[in-house]
Amino acid sequence: MWIAGSDGRLPDNQILVRMPEFFMRILLMLNFLIIITMSAFMVRSLLGTVHSGEAAAFLEAAGHVPIEAGKIPVMVVILYSSLVILTTVICNNHWELFAKACGECILVAAISVTLGMGYTGAMFLVIADVIRYKIDWKERALYIVSVSMLYIIMNTEMVWKSLNIIPVDVYWTYYSIDFRGLLTAGFSTLKLINIFVFIFYVVIIALAQMSEADRIYSLNLKLQAANSQLEKYAKESAHNAEIQERNRLAREIHDTIGHSLTGIVTGIEASIMLMDIDAGAAKKQMQAIEEVARAGITDVRQSVRALRPDVLENNKLEDALKKIVNDMRASTGVDIKYENLAHLEGMSEDEEDTVYRIFQESITNSIRHGKATRIECFMRREENYLHITISDNGIGCKDVTQGFGLHHMQERLNLLQGELNYSGENGFVVDVKIPVRWGKEKWND
Amino acid sequence: MNKDRKKGLKGRIRFDGGKSLPVTSWFPKVFHEIFFMEREARVILCVVLFFLSLFILTLGEGSFRRTRNNLTVGVFSGSYWDVQNGNTYKIVDDAIKAYEKKYPNIKVTYESGVIKSDYTEWLNERIMSGSMPDVVFILGQDFSSLAEMGALKNLNGLVNKDRSFDKDAYFSTAWKAGEYEGKQYALPYECAPQLMFVNKTILDKEGIRMPEAGWNWSDFYRICRNVTTTGESADEKQYGVTGYDWNCAFNANGVDFFEHGNEYVDFSVPGVTESLELIEKLNELNHGYKVSEADFSEGNVVFQPMPFSQYRAYKSQELHIKKYSGFEWDCLTMPAGPNGDNVSELDTLCIGMSAGTNMQAEAWSFMKLISSDPDIQKEILEYSDGLSVVRDVTLSDEASHMIVGSSKGTFNMMMLEKATDNSVVAPRFRGCSEVKEQVDLAVRSILEGEANIETEQIIWNREINNYLQTLN
Repeated sequence: MWIAGSDGRLPDNQILVRMPEFFMRILLMLNFLIIITMSAFMVRSLLGTVHSGEAAAFLEAAGHVPIEAGKIPVMVVILYSSLVILTTVICNNHWELFAKACGECILVAAISVTLGMGYTGAMFLVIADVIRYKIDWKERALYIVSVSMLYIIMNTEMVWKSLNIIPVDVYWTYYSIDFRGLLTAGFSTLKLINIFVFIFYVVIIALAQMSEADRIYSLNLKLQAANSQLEKYAKESAHNAEIQERNRLAREIHDTIGHSLTGIVTGIEASIMLMDIDAGAAKKQMQAIEEVARAGITDVRQSVRALRPDVLENNKLEDALKKIVNDMRASTGVDIKYENLAHLEGMSEDEEDTVYRIFQESITNSIRHGKATRIECFMRREENYLHITISDNGIGCKDVTQGFGLHHMQERLNLLQGELNYSGENGFVVDVKIPVRWGKEKWND
Repeated sequence: MNKDRKKGLKGRIRFDGGKSLPVTSWFPKVFHEIFFMEREARVILCVVLFFLSLFILTLGEGSFRRTRNNLTVGVFSGSYWDVQNGNTYKIVDDAIKAYEKKYPNIKVTYESGVIKSDYTEWLNERIMSGSMPDVVFILGQDFSSLAEMGALKNLNGLVNKDRSFDKDAYFSTAWKAGEYEGKQYALPYECAPQLMFVNKTILDKEGIRMPEAGWNWSDFYRICRNVTTTGESADEKQYGVTGYDWNCAFNANGVDFFEHGNEYVDFSVPGVTESLELIEKLNELNHGYKVSEADFSEGNVVFQPMPFSQYRAYKSQELHIKKYSGFEWDCLTMPAGPNGDNVSELDTLCIGMSAGTNMQAEAWSFMKLISSDPDIQKEILEYSDGLSVVRDVTLSDEASHMIVGSSKGTFNMMMLEKATDNSVVAPRFRGCSEVKEQVDLAVRSILEGEANIETEQIIWNREINNYLQTLN
C-alpha cells in the first residue's frame, strides 16, 4: 500500500492522505481482534458454566437469560462486517454523514450489547470515521461530543440494568480468580492500545490539516509580494514609455520640422536677396525650398505614424469603424447607420488614419453641434476614389465656418490629395473623396 | 493481480472519485468485491446484515425443528413436598395420555430422572443452552427468578383470550402464586397451606381442650404457658411450641412485610411490634432453651407449624409408623393475631411456558389440561401429598373422603378450606432467602437486646435496607 513513486519518494499530499488511512486500518483490525477474542471467551464461559453445573448460579447472578453461546460470535462478526462496510461508504453531504454516523453508532451499540458491554471502544471507530471528512473543526467537535456522550452512557451501569444486559463480568465469574485477572488485564491493555492508536490517528489528521493550511498561507503571502512587485514594474514602465515618447517627439521635431524649417528659412532669405538680382535664380531657389518643404512633410508624416489611434493599431480599419459607430451608438443613443461597399484592404496607414478621423470627427460634430438623432454613414468606391458620405438629420448650419475639426480634416485630405465637401442646408452632410492608390487590380476585375 | 488493479482503479474513479479506502493486498478477495459495489448497494448490505444479526438473535431451538409436533415438558421426579412418594411421573403420564388422545398428532415428551434437588440447575442449564422445554414445572423458590430473567412467557394474553379458561376456579392464593409484578407467568398445579400440628396427648394429659378453628394468639399463648414445664429430668421437659417464627407471626397479624419485594422493608408498619412481643414472650417461657423439631417428634412439644403435605404423608397408613408415632396428633389452622386472621402461607407448585416456545397454543392447552382438568387434578389428591388447586376438586365429597377419611380428629374440610382461603403467597423475590436470614438475625438481636423493641427496630430497619441495596 505504501508504494513509493518512481523516484523513491512520496509526494507530500500522498503521505497526508495515506497516514490516517493506515491508522484507520490498524484501528479496524485491532477492534476486530478485541471483539472476536472477547466473544470467544464469553462462549467458553457459557459452555463451561452449563457443563460444570453452575447454570443456576450464573443465571442468579445474571438475572437474565444470556444470548446463546453459539450466537454470540456469529452476531458479532456479522455486525462488525456491517460496520466495516459502512465505514467505506463516502458521504457527499452533511445529511449523509449524519445518517452514517447514526448507523455506525447503532452497530457499535449492538456489538457492545452482544458483548455484555464488555467492549464499547468501537465507538472510537465512529469518531475516527467522521473526523476524516474535511468538515469544520466545530462540526467535528459536535460529532465527537455526541459520540462521546453515547460512549459514556453506554459505560453507565444504570443503562445496562434498564436494558437487561448481563455485564461481561458475570461471564468472567466462570474463570478462576487468577485467570480472570489475566483476562481483565489483557482486555484492558487491548483497550488502551486501541485508545492510543485512536489518539495517534487524530493527531495525524490534525497535523495533516494544519500543514495544508500552512502551505496555503505561505503561498498566499508569496502571491501578494509578487503582485505588489508587478504593480511597481507597471508604473515604472509607463513612466519610462512617457519619457521615451517625449524624447522621441523632441528628436523628431528637431530632426524633421526643425531641419526643414531651418532650410526653408535660409532658402527664403536667399530668395529674397536673389529676387532683385536674378528672378530666374530666385525661382530656382524657391523650387529647392519647395523640395525641402515636401521632404519635411514626408518626415513629419513618418513621425506621426507612431501617433496613430490605438484602435487602428490593433484592428483592421473596417473593425475600427464599426467599433466607433457601435460605441457612439451605445453611448449617445443616436441611430447611426453604417454601410460599406468598398474593400478596405491594402490601404496605407495614413489613409486609414484619415478615414478613421473623418468618421470620428463627422459623427462627433453631428451629435455635438447638429443635435442629430439619426446619422447615415455610407462608403463606396467610385472609379479611383473612395467616396465617403456622412449625413445627419440635425439642425445643420446656414453659414459654415471651418472650425478646427473641419480644418484638420481638410488638411489631412490635402495631404492625400483628397477632396472635402460639406453642406449645412438640410441637416449636415460631409462628402469626402479620397484618391485610391491601392487595390486597383480588384476594381479592374 | 493485474486484473484486480484495473478493476480497482475503475471502481475508485467511478464511485467516489478515488476517496474510498484504497484496497490493499491484505484484504481477502471477497472484500474487494464489496468495496467496489455501488455506494447504495453497500448501505443496503449494511442494513441487511444488521437485520440478519437480529434475526439470528431471535432464533430459538424450535426454529430448527424439522417438525412441530413434539411438545417437551420439564419435570422432576419425586414429590415436591419432600416426602417419600412412589408415584413419580404418574400424574404427568396420565395428563400426557389424556392430551395425546385429544391431540393425536402431537407427541409430549419429558426427560425423566431429574430429581428435585437437581431440577433448578437442570432447568437453568437448559435455559442457558437455549433448549428450555416448552412447558416446565416451577419450584416455588425458582419462580421469581425465572420470571424476572424473562425465561417464562407472560400468559396474560392467553388467559384473557381463552374463553374456556376460568381463573376463578382456582384458589385465589394459588392463582396469585403464578403472578409476578402484575403479570401471570404460571398456572398453579398443586398447593399446600401451612397448618399448626398439635400434640393431642399432651393436651389431654394437661386437661386442655383442643382449640377451635378460629383460635387466636391469647389462646395460643395461654396453652403454651400452661403446658411448659422445665423440670430436671428428660421426662418432665415439656414445651409449648417450636418453629413458630416471625414469618408466621407477621402473617397471622396482617403484616405484609415483603410488600415492596427486595426494594425495602419497614419494621414500623402496624402489627410488627405485637408480633415480636409474642415471640419474645413465647421464648421467655423456655428460659433460654432452644426448642427443636426433634423435641416435637419425641412428643415433648404441643405445637409446630407444618405444611399440609406432612399431614397427608404421615396420616396415610404407609408412613404412619415412621414419624410422630409415639403420640396422638392433629392439625389446626394457624392462630390469629390481634390485627389479623388465621392466615398461613400457601406453598404452590406451578407450571409455566418457555418464553421462546414456538408451540404456544399446544403448550397452553397442555398447561390448561394439567392445571385445571378435574380428572387430572383429582389425581393429585390420590397420588401426591398436596391439594388440588381447583376449588371444586379439593372441596368435593370424594376429596373429603380421601383427605380426612376415617380419622376421628378435629381436623376437617371446613378447617382446610379456611386455611387455604385465608392463605398468603410466600414471599418470593431475588435474594429472598438471604434477606430472610437477615431478618432472622435482626429479630433475634431485637429480642435479645437490652434496649426496647422500638429502638432496635429502627436500627435493624436501616441495617436490612442497606443490605437490600447491595442486592440491587
